[in-house]
Amino acid sequence: MSADKGRYGHAWDEDAGPLVRPYTLTRGRTRAAHADLTLITLVTTVEPVPDDREAGGLHPEELDILRLCVRPQAVAEVAALVHLPVSVVKILLGDLVNAGRMTARAPLSMAQAPNAELLRKVRDGLGRL
Amino acid sequence: MGSVVSSAAHTAVPLPAAALAVKILVAGGFGVGKTTLVGAVSEVPPLSTEEVMTAAGVGVDDLEGITGGGTAKVTTTVALDFGRITIDEDVVLYLFGTPGQERFWSMWDDLAVGALGAVVLVDTRRLDSSFGSIDFFERRGVPFVVGVNRFDGLLDHTEEDIRAALDLDPEVPTVLCDVRERASCREVLLALIDHIAARFAAQN
Ligand SMILES: Nc1nc2c(ncn2[C@@H]2O[C@H](COP(=O)(O)OP(=O)(O)O)[C@@H](O)[C@H]2O)c(=O)[nH]1
Ligand SMILES: [Mg+2]
Repeated sequence: MSADKGRYGHAWDEDAGPLVRPYTLTRGRTRAAHADLTLITLVTTVEPVPDDREAGGLHPEELDILRLCVRPQAVAEVAALVHLPVSVVKILLGDLVNAGRMTARAPLSMAQAPNAELLRKVRDGLGRL
Repeated sequence: MGSVVSSAAHTAVPLPAAALAVKILVAGGFGVGKTTLVGAVSEVPPLSTEEVMTAAGVGVDDLEGITGGGTAKVTTTVALDFGRITIDEDVVLYLFGTPGQERFWSMWDDLAVGALGAVVLVDTRRLDSSFGSIDFFERRGVPFVVGVNRFDGLLDHTEEDIRAALDLDPEVPTVLCDVRERASCREVLLALIDHIAARFAAQN
């Protein structure tokens, strides 16, 4: 992965602790391009997933995310499955959405859609547990 | 719908209708059974992820510059357990559990946005470890129920004593539970949904 050093500017400094690598991955940015990516925003890859040779502009972690999200996944699930902090994954996902490689679906919230119908559905679903 | 959705909508692969998410939070002090509850009801192996916090609990933006070779800032990560329950083809419920501790409140603020409600677990031997979580949801008006986790079936206090010690409002339900049992967790979650529905009905 020596190409990454050139692209991202910094070598991976083990002494500086585990946070350096994730934020190197995001080119030092700590804020997502999209503030509306929540933990339960569902993200889905726009297929086809590029193969390794076609993925010139993509980081291996971004390719992993694209492969993972061929079926919708919540942002929190993606973070857990790729072993990166949520805040880092939100930045990567924001880029992928901006690049048209993923779509994002906002969660239902009671503030937007407070309704008895939703509660009844959730109650019925939990009753089947 | 936010800008993310609209900006990429033209390239969207049709999502299955399943894809609208709601969430419930699971709070309470260390060791009260949050991770156990999430694992007991989740349809997927419960996952854990990390959120990065600065030690002072201020915004993650303050991590800016951490790659720049300057002095390293003191950071801490907090584990976030989550599980998933597919309700039907339209709705997916996510459960999030993480310690209710003061230094994590900035993260709880984000977690609470859009949540249906919360379960605060208490251990009767250490009720005080869940005081902070109860305060948090009361202050923000997030509906919650209190799950009294009966470790080893022991219950050396009456439910009334527990309610008094926690200074609970009369309408906040308490449910005795054993979070190792899925059926018991289900009862706690159903009590929460009924409580939310009652509040909703009262407001409309
Ligand atoms: N005996 C007994 N042990 C429990 C019960 N609930 C949780 N535990 C155990 O208590 C410990 C702490 O639970 P955990 O879910 O990790 O608590 P958390 O810190 O709130 O996530 C674990 O070892 C659980 O197996 C219970 O009802 N009875
Ligand atoms: Mg735990």
